[in-house]
Amino acid sequence: MQFMRSNTFHWAAALAALFAAFVTILFGFIYFKIDDYLIARSDGMITTQVNFFAALPPDRRISALDDHNRQDSRGVHFAGIFDANGNRIAGNIARLPGDLAAGAGVKSVRMAQANDKEPGAPLVRAVARSLDHGHVLVVGRNVDETREISRVVGGTLALGLLPAFCFWLLAGAWLSVRAQRRVEDVNLRVQRIIAGDLRERLPHRNIDEPFSRLAAIVNGMLDELETTINALAGVGNDIAHDLRTPLTRARLTLERGRTNATTLEQLQEAADKAIAGIDQSLSIVTALLRLAEIENSRRSSAFGNVELGEMLSEVCDMYEPIAEDKQVALSVGTSGTLFVRGDRDLLLEAVANLVDNAIKFTPRSGRVELELLRGEGETILRVTDTGPGISDQEHEAVLRRFYRSDKIRNTPGVGLGLNLVSAIVKLHGFRLIIHSGPGGRVEIICPDERAGRT
Amino acid sequence: MTKVLLIEDDDETAGEITAELADRGFDVEWSSNGLDGLAKAHDLRPDAMIVDRLLPGMDGLTVIESLRKEQVRTPVLVLSALGAVDDRVRGLRMGGDDYLTKPFAVVELVARIEALLRRPPETRETTLRVGQLELDLIERTAKRGERRIDLLPREFRLLEYMMRRSDQLLTRAMLLEEVWNYKFVPATNLVDVHMGRVRHKVDGPDEAPMIHNVRGAGFILRAVS
Repeated sequence: MQFMRSNTFHWAAALAALFAAFVTILFGFIYFKIDDYLIARSDGMITTQVNFFAALPPDRRISALDDHNRQDSRGVHFAGIFDANGNRIAGNIARLPGDLAAGAGVKSVRMAQANDKEPGAPLVRAVARSLDHGHVLVVGRNVDETREISRVVGGTLALGLLPAFCFWLLAGAWLSVRAQRRVEDVNLRVQRIIAGDLRERLPHRNIDEPFSRLAAIVNGMLDELETTINALAGVGNDIAHDLRTPLTRARLTLERGRTNATTLEQLQEAADKAIAGIDQSLSIVTALLRLAEIENSRRSSAFGNVELGEMLSEVCDMYEPIAEDKQVALSVGTSGTLFVRGDRDLLLEAVANLVDNAIKFTPRSGRVELELLRGEGETILRVTDTGPGISDQEHEAVLRRFYRSDKIRNTPGVGLGLNLVSAIVKLHGFRLIIHSGPGGRVEIICPDERAGRT
Repeated sequence: MTKVLLIEDDDETAGEITAELADRGFDVEWSSNGLDGLAKAHDLRPDAMIVDRLLPGMDGLTVIESLRKEQVRTPVLVLSALGAVDDRVRGLRMGGDDYLTKPFAVVELVARIEALLRRPPETRETTLRVGQLELDLIERTAKRGERRIDLLPREFRLLEYMMRRSDQLLTRAMLLEEVWNYKFVPATNLVDVHMGRVRHKVDGPDEAPMIHNVRGAGFILRAVS
């Protein structure tokens, strides 16, 4: 009986009660209307009859009266003539009702028929008229039949309303049980999702129904969450994998050194190698922490005006020997003195990362260019190279942590560089645009600071 | 003997640092909380201090700040698990002289402490000399003995820094920070490439090397003995 406590059931019951009340009022209204109409009709009839009898000559009046009473099989007709003392002269009325004034309109009075065996006088609509010699003519009609009508109406009401009410309650119960089942179903599936089954979805049909729409919305959210969680799990796997490789190497080196080394020098060599492996693992962790740190920081008060041209020259100066070693031409092209608002150290790091990448992926005797341009209301910092570039398919992937293009699998690196650049760029409110190959082209778009904004 | 005060709340880290510094001939005094550390800094008058950023009792930066307010100029190396750029800037602004993020190599710590202890005096000399090596800061020229060395500006800057700190171990991170003003470690071993260039020019094929590579640590410039 749990459904009886459900909200749906309560609503259904309330609606059923409301419906019953409405029907009762409607029936009552109809009853009173019919009652009014019947009484008005019978009043009209009585008036016609009384006028008819009064107009007859006295000798024919009595026989007409008796005829009238005799024709009435249901015993609803009342008609009689009384003398001035109230004694019955003719008709079927036992006594002249005291409260019936001659000459007045039709009114309800209690009167009994002369030959009536049943005790008690029924309520009768009657009218009295004065005749010659102080005689009084009374014509009436028993309107108890309207009570019969009310009985019929009440019966109909009960007959129609009770099943309807029951039907409403059943419908309410059914609806609430159905809703409860769906909630149970959803709960079951949600429990499964909580338990870790991320592929589980809520049931929904392709109809425009609130519950189904709600389920569809939740399913959409679950899709997003699943993708994100899978991506995160992927990152976790990548981290684990990238950490394990150097650590495994360090472990192997140590193990071999411990078994095979016969001199201190050999042992030291093994230790050095192991330290290098551990350092690499540490550098991955450091890079990740740094990334998280930049992603979680807000525009800092340490922001100042940064002269980009000079910064580019500095990066270029730093990387020139490396480019030279690789026979890659590194050049800087700037147009005028351009300032942006930002953290110089971080921006330098971002640009250095881009240049580092560009040189790394550019084959021998290639070219890496650093450019500073003015766009419409923005300053563009562009790094182009003659390397393989980034294909359309890789666009999203390069911003994923630890992503290393298959083309460059054997190039050393942690695979967090572009993430870092992206995080720094986002922190500054700039945009990072990666153009499709051939040839690498990455741009940092720095929109001009609007006046009044800090 | 050089006295170093270490204020660090982690026993194990403190133990490692103390042992390493003692091996190198330092007299290390250890304090595990800020208040005690501050008192010891007054009583012992150490030559250098190593202060952890987060300490029970009194924050590391507060310790340094109050020392500086009392005109105590002891060089301080700040240690921190927080690598945030802002945090680093704050550490240095509060009066720290150098900043090292955990985890660090012990070699790095020792190199930095030695660098703090042997800060080159402000001289008006316009010529730097280490052994046969001579650097004219006005003319921007370099000579080894009679041999002229042609240096690019960036190479000159690197050599100048090394000559001011000859016989000291200079780690890659120190060089990046001091010579190039880099606050991060780039993916490529930039320092090695630059150092290779300078070394190639300073140490001729028939000459005894002056720039030495210390495995896993950094570089030292030394006069030929």
